[in-house]
Amino acid sequence: MSLRHLLHVVGAVLGAIGVAMLTPAIVTIIYGEWSDLPGLLGAAALTTIIGFALWRGFDRPGELSPREGFAAVGLAWIAISIFGTLPYLLTGAIDNPTDAFFESAAGFTTTGASIIPDPGTLSHGIAFWRSFTQWIGGMGIIVLSIAVLPLLGMGAVQLARAEAPGPMPDRLTPRFSETAKRLWLVYVVLTLAQVLILWVGDMSLFESVVHSFTTLSTGGFSTNAGSIGAYSAYTQWVVIVFMLLGGTSFALHYRFVRRDRKAYLKSPGLRVYLGIAIAAAAMIAIANRGVSGTADSIREAMFTSVTILTGTGFTTSDFAQWIPALQVMIVGLMFIGGMAGSTSGAIKADRIQILYEASRVDVRRLIHPRGVFVTRVGREPLPDLVVEAVQTFFLLYMFAFMTGTFLFAIFGSIAEPNVGIVTTVSAVASAIGNVGPGLGDVGPAGNYLAIPWAGKYILASLMIVGRLEILPIVILFNREVWRR
Amino acid sequence: MRIVIVGAGAVGSYLAEKLSYEGQDVVVIESDPERAAVAQSEIDCLVINGNGASAETLKSAGLDDADLLIAVSSSDAVNVLACAAGTKLQIPRKVARVEDPQLKAEVEALGVDLVIDPGEAAARELLQLARSGDIAERIDFANGELVLLGAYVDSRAPFVGRSLADLRDTVVGWDWLVVAVIRHGETIIARGGTTMEAGDHVLMMAKKESTEEAYRWLGLSSRPAETAIVIGGTRVARLTAQLLASKGIRTTIIDSDMDRCRVMARELPEVLTVCGDATDIRLMRSEGVATTDTVMALTGWDSENVLAALVAKSLGAGEVIARFTNTDLIGLLSGIGLDATVSSRLSAANEILRFVRRGVIHSVVTFSDSDAEAIELEVGPGSGAIGRTLADLKLPHSLIIGGIQRGAEAFVPRGTTTIEVGDHIIAIALPEAIGAAEKLSG
Repeated sequence: MSLRHLLHVVGAVLGAIGVAMLTPAIVTIIYGEWSDLPGLLGAAALTTIIGFALWRGFDRPGELSPREGFAAVGLAWIAISIFGTLPYLLTGAIDNPTDAFFESAAGFTTTGASIIPDPGTLSHGIAFWRSFTQWIGGMGIIVLSIAVLPLLGMGAVQLARAEAPGPMPDRLTPRFSETAKRLWLVYVVLTLAQVLILWVGDMSLFESVVHSFTTLSTGGFSTNAGSIGAYSAYTQWVVIVFMLLGGTSFALHYRFVRRDRKAYLKSPGLRVYLGIAIAAAAMIAIANRGVSGTADSIREAMFTSVTILTGTGFTTSDFAQWIPALQVMIVGLMFIGGMAGSTSGAIKADRIQILYEASRVDVRRLIHPRGVFVTRVGREPLPDLVVEAVQTFFLLYMFAFMTGTFLFAIFGSIAEPNVGIVTTVSAVASAIGNVGPGLGDVGPAGNYLAIPWAGKYILASLMIVGRLEILPIVILFNREVWRR
Repeated sequence: MRIVIVGAGAVGSYLAEKLSYEGQDVVVIESDPERAAVAQSEIDCLVINGNGASAETLKSAGLDDADLLIAVSSSDAVNVLACAAGTKLQIPRKVARVEDPQLKAEVEALGVDLVIDPGEAAARELLQLARSGDIAERIDFANGELVLLGAYVDSRAPFVGRSLADLRDTVVGWDWLVVAVIRHGETIIARGGTTMEAGDHVLMMAKKESTEEAYRWLGLSSRPAETAIVIGGTRVARLTAQLLASKGIRTTIIDSDMDRCRVMARELPEVLTVCGDATDIRLMRSEGVATTDTVMALTGWDSENVLAALVAKSLGAGEVIARFTNTDLIGLLSGIGLDATVSSRLSAANEILRFVRRGVIHSVVTFSDSDAEAIELEVGPGSGAIGRTLADLKLPHSLIIGGIQRGAEAFVPRGTTTIEVGDHIIAIALPEAIGAAEKLSG
């Protein structure tokens, strides 16, 4: 694998991001915030030029091998997280590179963790850019490139496989570029729908747009310190529904719209995902009963369950103050995530189901030693390779979580004052699951500003590791891959 | 009636033999020269060596005027094409053997009157056996009002060695009639003097309400099976396992080939697949053969099936059923301990015969170990039997009337029963008496 091939891909992706940076510039012009304009234009120009130079400077790799695809995607996501800091830094919205990198990574990976204490103070252009990074990152920058720009050529499928979340890629059409287009179309249409529905309520057009960006991408950046809690019950319910939609496989949405009216009913993954969301909401509602009115407590329970499960990270109530059992459950939800093929993070409901079914098979094998078993989800048998890949993924995910927790704890212990265990564990689980808020100091009422600088880099890295489902990053550090 | 049979395989040659015995004009088309020669030498029919799928072959054999085409070669494609050729030659009725379930509906849409799958027919028969306890067969007549039960006589049964006339006086309170006894491959149509011996395959007619008594008298359990073990990875085995499982019977399928097991594990989600030898006693014990209600040995080898079934029986299995390809063996082996036997070609042939004789005859059943048939026919206004009692009719010894359906009522007749017009008669007859039976309908 040669770095030259990878840099060609990285260049293409950077070029696309550079062009994307022009949109906040336009927003800045609309709102007449002229002081931000040079910074945003500079960021766009720098990113585009470097991207273009890399793209042209290194030859097109032809057909990428799977490992090259994975490595290229890993590298590209690191690059966009770095270049994504430029709008913050050049406009002066964030004054140091560490914080800007954290915010940029939390954006593209749709984590939604923030170092900004009050996002209400940000200019429209920067607030738009923050949300926009989540919107692009949600469906995937590579998938977007394939859908819109024919820059990546034949290797595109390998790249998309590395970026699309989930154990098995879902093909809607024979050509992947066509599939990518349709997925993005569903994404855009749902976003527009949410903008309109929110605009009818108590949000302004600008608020509707940026919150729609961060809802469907299950990102979670808001323009308020109080997140969605600052809006009406109507708005909160709309956001609940669209978070759920964002956490559902987009291929499923597409099938439903196009021809298969039973698509949702037939999906076992959807059942698991919704089942967990409702069960968790019921537990929250029961534990918190009597605190507020029935309607309010049901809404708050549902909101919190969905926002954590889908890894969105909007908040309406300060769950860091809830009883310990609920806090433990919230950390548990951070590991599960939405469906494969959605914009949400973490292990994914489909994989949880596969792990469960595979473990059942192992138990049955104990009872019938000569039995021949196949792991199946619903009635569909799964190839052994998929089951093994899911088990490996789970192992790597937990390993990454534990390593991350330990490293974070080391730097948290050096810092003055120490970062507590609850904060440490929840922040790491939240980062790798692309959720956003954690518990303790980084709960809904707090933010990540006070985390020691090394901790911020650890969390930002874990966000990218989690978003790309580990392998694209792991492969970058594999010596064997680089040997030839 | 002129009948063309495409394919002289197991089903085809059996049908040809049956139909030609009944005096039908049978032409068999077989593409394999050796098989064609065998069929020609064994069956009283015209055998043409050629491709049955071609309209040319059919026409050159002068078959434009055939009344019925039965395409039962082993290839779905040939059968479908043969039926298409039959349509072109305007043969009025067509039967095709099609195994691909996806093709089935499409073939029916092509104007084929009966689409049959031997594997499926056998699977249905096995399900029926599993559901009706320990018996060898259970066939419904007269809309289910009358049942024909078959069972093997246990040596400990109280009626062993006694004559039917003798039993008639002691077993009272419910209507029953032993219609036939199959002993060492020979079918004896029951008379008063017939005795029952251990190992006999007894066919008995009873009203639906008295099936419980019949079971008890025969010493059998009528409890439907809740657990089943299917041995073998053949198509029949798979179809059966799937059917049993879909009806809520906990089913285990055992085969010794790992690759086949993997395929089955994937295809049969509700069935437990176990890879191993069905005669491995330790394996069979650990899979709970002792508490299994029914064990079906359905491999492609008769010898393996018999051995596996007998092993299961001695390990404590409830009912054991073996599949036979060589149906001549079945009668010969009666009494060795098998509770029932099945043959996919007979199951298929049964369904086809029932279709072929549709008209005066309402249903036909053949038995795996006997050449006797049970037929249901209607007494037409022209019948000479009307107004006469059964005793008066002087029926041949190879024919017995086991049941009569009159309007909504159905009963087991006595010698004094009078035949009326419109009666549905259930007759059990050896081949030579089938003509006599048909004469009853007028």
